[in-house]
Amino acid sequence: MTDDAIVRVRGLTTVLNGKTIFDNLDLDIPRGKVTAIMGPSGTGKTTLLKHITGQMRGDAGTIEVDGENVPSLSREKLFELRERIGYLFQNSALLTDFDVFENVAFPLRQHTELPEELIRNIVLNKLEAVGLRGAARLSPTELSGGMARRVALARAIVFDPALILYDEPFVGLDPISLNQVLLLIRTLNHTLGITSVLVAHELAAVQKVADHVYLIANGKVVAQGAPATLASDGSPWTAQFFGGKIDGPVPFQYPAGDYATALGFPGGKA
Amino acid sequence: MTTARNDNVVVRSLTQIGACGLFLLTILAAIPRSFRHGRETVRQIWFVGAMSLTIVMTCGLFVGMVLGLQLYDVLSIFGGTSATGTVVAIAIYRELGPVVTALLFAGRAGTSVTAEIGLMRATDQLDAMEMMAVDPIAYVIAPRFLAGVVALPLLAVVFCAMGVFGGHLVGVTWLGIDNGTFWSNMTATVDVHKDIIDGVLLKSFAFGIVVSLIAVFQGYTTPPTSEGVAYATTRTVVASSIAILALDFVLTSFLI
Repeated sequence: MTDDAIVRVRGLTTVLNGKTIFDNLDLDIPRGKVTAIMGPSGTGKTTLLKHITGQMRGDAGTIEVDGENVPSLSREKLFELRERIGYLFQNSALLTDFDVFENVAFPLRQHTELPEELIRNIVLNKLEAVGLRGAARLSPTELSGGMARRVALARAIVFDPALILYDEPFVGLDPISLNQVLLLIRTLNHTLGITSVLVAHELAAVQKVADHVYLIANGKVVAQGAPATLASDGSPWTAQFFGGKIDGPVPFQYPAGDYATALGFPGGKA
Repeated sequence: MTTARNDNVVVRSLTQIGACGLFLLTILAAIPRSFRHGRETVRQIWFVGAMSLTIVMTCGLFVGMVLGLQLYDVLSIFGGTSATGTVVAIAIYRELGPVVTALLFAGRAGTSVTAEIGLMRATDQLDAMEMMAVDPIAYVIAPRFLAGVVALPLLAVVFCAMGVFGGHLVGVTWLGIDNGTFWSNMTATVDVHKDIIDGVLLKSFAFGIVVSLIAVFQGYTTPPTSEGVAYATTRTVVASSIAILALDFVLTSFLI
């Protein structure tokens, strides 16, 4: 556990529709580092991000972000905190009423009284960083999935926040865009000291950019460490996940009754 | 079994009405904050108001024309065709104007507001606003609610004007009622307070609150699926229509 953690999760327990998502989860996100959260699908990685931002609340436990316990914050205080957090949605979530430029400018227009010229410069600077300055006047419906993700990334970093949460940032990106996004995450981290949390499945990309990886399964952190060594740490969890094996501690099948019985064969387990 | 199902329907309906009432309080609390998004409110007034003008004007014209035709036919039995203008005006001002405009508004603007907000919910746009520390109630919901409350009375006035014009077109231009009689009987009988302010403006203001509330509530609470958005849009029309006609009876019983 880290002394200087920007996010400190302690004893987080969340049960949704009778299914335990987090079971007394403890986790620290070190300040100024790039941390990746990995794990099988449906294990609650996006849900964890939503807990960190206060979009969801757990049944027990504390989540401190920059010293503030998120579940106990009022709506006003939560909004103040969110102004310091950037969030990249899995499906980009661009505002379809606005073009690309206005999507990136949206947080600036809502929270600042900056002159138009300065807003324009900041927005073009962020769009240039994601390689889409030329697409400033396109509508979100004219963008490919990868382009929409890069616009959403430009919007997430428009305030140079202290913490950026990326939900599946590498999905749908071509190799050039992927490298550009990796470079951008690294640059933001190095030059501005921005803490980044990535939820991702792509080990190769994570190894290039992350300082620390948490592997989550069955509601707990089952492995953690440096990305270069984690895959070969000898644990059955990492062996199964990074090796892509069906058999292992993580069940491939969603919990179900006996297969033979479900198919109507005699002699199935009752 | 049947009783249990009925109970569930009753409980579900009451829960929805209660949730809708609480949502109204949330919107009212957010309205002062929504004033900083004044441009968005104006844009929505244009969208739900000005863009509904064509259907409202056309329907108002035909309602007035058919009313003129029917009334002329009935009143001619009693030799009272000179009262056609009066009855057309009173029927339109007191009932048809506000009620039909509200029904048209629910179908034209209410559904599009529900579908728009529902799709924003389904595509995480409302969550994205929350994450950018922008309150979607103040930025998205309150402007659309206010726009409906402002636009509906104005549309009702336009509908009434077109309706009277339609009645005049049929009664005077086509069927030959004396122009002076048509207008003088109407102006002598129509009461500004009872027929215009209470009849048109007050009723359509109340309908504007109800239809806009139902539209934004259904959109905001829709399940984030294409089926959910479709159901929410349908519920907006059904619930608005019932609410308009029921509220019309209640208001009329107090105003008459």
